[in-house]
Amino acid sequence: MSTDSLHLSYGPHIRRGRTTAEIMWLVNISLMPALIWAWIVFGWQVVAITLSSILGCMVAEHLACRLTKIPSTIRDGSVVCTGILLAFTLPPALPLWMPFVGALLGVLLAKSVFGGLGYNIFNIALIARAIMMATFPVEMTTRWLAPGLIGASQVDAFTGATPLAVMKAATQSGEALQLTGVPGDMNPWLSFFLGLQSGSIGEVSVLFVVLGAAFLLWHRIIKLYIPLSVLAGAALMAPYSDAPLLYMLSGGLWLGAFFMATDYVTSPSTPRGQIVFGLGIGLLTGIIRNWGGYPEGICYAILLMNLLVPALEEWFRPRRVADRGTPS
Amino acid sequence: MRRKRLPPGQKGADARGITSCAATGQVMSVLLWLKPGERTFARGGIHPAEHKELTATCAIESFVPSSVTVPVSQSLGPAAKPLVEKKDLVKRGDVIAEAPDGLRIHAPISGIVKNVQREPHPVLVHDTAITILAKPTDDEPEFPEQPGWMELSREVMLEKIKHGGLVGLGGAAFPTYRKLTLPPDAKIDTLLINGSECEPYLTCDYRLMLEDAEKVVLGAWTIARMIGVNRCLIGVEDNKQPAVEALRAAIERLGIESLPFPVAMEVVLTETKYPQGAERQLIEALTGRVVPRRGLPLQVGIVVQNVATAYACLEAIRNDKPVIDRVVTVSGLGIAQPKNLRVPIGTSIAALLEHCGGFNGEVVKVLAGGPMMGRALADLNVPVVKGTSGLLFLTRSETNLDRYGACIGCGECLDVCPLGLEPNKVSQYVEWGRPLETEVYGVLDCFECGCCSYVCPSNRPLVQFMQVAKTAYRNQARSRQ
Ligand code: SF4
Ligand code: SF4
Repeated sequence: MSTDSLHLSYGPHIRRGRTTAEIMWLVNISLMPALIWAWIVFGWQVVAITLSSILGCMVAEHLACRLTKIPSTIRDGSVVCTGILLAFTLPPALPLWMPFVGALLGVLLAKSVFGGLGYNIFNIALIARAIMMATFPVEMTTRWLAPGLIGASQVDAFTGATPLAVMKAATQSGEALQLTGVPGDMNPWLSFFLGLQSGSIGEVSVLFVVLGAAFLLWHRIIKLYIPLSVLAGAALMAPYSDAPLLYMLSGGLWLGAFFMATDYVTSPSTPRGQIVFGLGIGLLTGIIRNWGGYPEGICYAILLMNLLVPALEEWFRPRRVADRGTPS
Repeated sequence: MRRKRLPPGQKGADARGITSCAATGQVMSVLLWLKPGERTFARGGIHPAEHKELTATCAIESFVPSSVTVPVSQSLGPAAKPLVEKKDLVKRGDVIAEAPDGLRIHAPISGIVKNVQREPHPVLVHDTAITILAKPTDDEPEFPEQPGWMELSREVMLEKIKHGGLVGLGGAAFPTYRKLTLPPDAKIDTLLINGSECEPYLTCDYRLMLEDAEKVVLGAWTIARMIGVNRCLIGVEDNKQPAVEALRAAIERLGIESLPFPVAMEVVLTETKYPQGAERQLIEALTGRVVPRRGLPLQVGIVVQNVATAYACLEAIRNDKPVIDRVVTVSGLGIAQPKNLRVPIGTSIAALLEHCGGFNGEVVKVLAGGPMMGRALADLNVPVVKGTSGLLFLTRSETNLDRYGACIGCGECLDVCPLGLEPNKVSQYVEWGRPLETEVYGVLDCFECGCCSYVCPSNRPLVQFMQVAKTAYRNQARSRQ
């Protein structure tokens, strides 16, 4: 009877079985409805941009793991997830090399230098986007496409601004709101909800973002503390905007609330911390949108709140059961 | 919420609205991950695959090996000193070792002492042990019922418990007489009997409750008698319905409430959830009371004993039979014939393996105890000790040999910790080499149930990180003295 093959690790000796890789691939799956919808609305270039962005992330991750000699984390799906999320924040007519460069820099600067998976402070996709905003400011704010369900010609459909930018201009100038790009006779609310207006790849449709989020909720990968408090925080600021309902229905808010703010690594892990974190993001989003220099505020709101995460985790600790101890 | 019941299935007996509210519960739990309200501890916990079907229908069989090796350390407390030498003849039940505090160890079988020397031990790695070769005598001790046992005084009963070598048979192996000797100012109002058996695979307590419900109930009565309380709750998880019915019927039949020392005894169903069988969690589940930090159940008026211990108490008091054998679940996909066996203390794992048909496929881990808190064994020549509730032979597919990664901050470990601790933080501080900064995250409360490690998607060995931090605090305290 040989006992050489017996392993001696400590308990527990069984495991639930859901691994980091499984979680990440489930998140990637949950992003597919929005991606497919973007493909339908904006055409093949969104797929190309997404692949370019994923490729940039993978190259950066591979290089970093090689250089630092840590085991490669390229298969666990987290880099793919970062790539998709970055692509979702980009204009659909961006030149294809830009997402690659942005993703590469984002992963190297926001993830690898901090120590790789699990150690980054900021949301990697959003840092990559912020880098791109700084590096390619013109392309990042003008390469929009008007929606045209497959088959419609989109080549000549560049528009100068997203509805949020138009809204912001209207708010600041006090003029009546004039949306462009919305199919002529469609209710603007519905077009926002379905994603039939110009905008970033994955942000245009609230419906498909929410479908993906529902999938994550069903698999118990995210909880509602963060998304609901982000939306609540944003709703508090909505009255100060010119078109509160459209403001609430802009896809960026929902993508940010369900997929960016809920990033495990860069959000607090305690429920109360998560609620405060979410509220902070919502409020900051509203402030930046209404009074700041950018039409789309959630990116910077999340990055700012990422800074506070260590503090939030210290301030809002779980309540320890033994503290309730009640000698009778 | 999938819920497997143990065969023989009692359908519909325990609907209790679980199915009716399942839909709403599912929706609610998806929204905020709420758990449906059932009798259980308030926070955390997990529900691993039970795997109890492997042995749930296996009636307890007896098995006596040709030799036993009895370690002299089998409980928390001072080690016993051997009282026999090589070549001595011993009879089943004879005292063969005694600790300074009077806790005794008895010969599990009749025979001849072959050796008194250091041998492999399942917990201590090595320990002095007495090896006895079986040699049945003509007048094997039978341990018949002693007349008038019910009228014995508390003190006499306690004495028998101590001399009978009783320790907690649920696994902790704390000397039972010490737990039942209450400080004079203690105000105990309730006895809890732990029939939860929340570890996967194990069914030895279940079979005991099912097959010998009367003895379990009478055993509980003896404990109530010894600590002088008139209220006793037996907590059983709702996946053991047949045992619940057996116990309820036994309570009825025996008329426990009208014995010389009446006890109001009730079997309480709890949600199937690990670690329901842990003392604090059971107390919370059954009474809603919370034991203060580093406090004892006594402080909230409660004494907890496991069902197998209750059974052994009865045997010690009614039959003068010391702890010389125990029921062990032998299970896992890696064993040819899973069984529940009553074996003499000191039976070697190798002998049990042989009796159960040997390995079945590639076994990568052998455990003493359950898969959550049990210990991996390196040597199959270790013996069953009083605290051994199960022996598991696990194949690669059942166990976990993956490497671990960085914390991804998912917060799962916080959700499942029944004490509201932060194992993720502790693990990170330990990795950074700062174990002495982890007290704020609750490391000293941790009782190492392993729920956190079980769920961690990064497979982080959180329990070991907790142990490292605790050791650092212990060393610090020692160096200060
Ligand atoms: S092992 Fe400790 S930290 Fe982990 S869940 Fe159990 S009590 Fe909590
Ligand atoms: S379960 Fe593991 S990965 Fe998740 S927070 Fe806890 S330690 Fe980190």
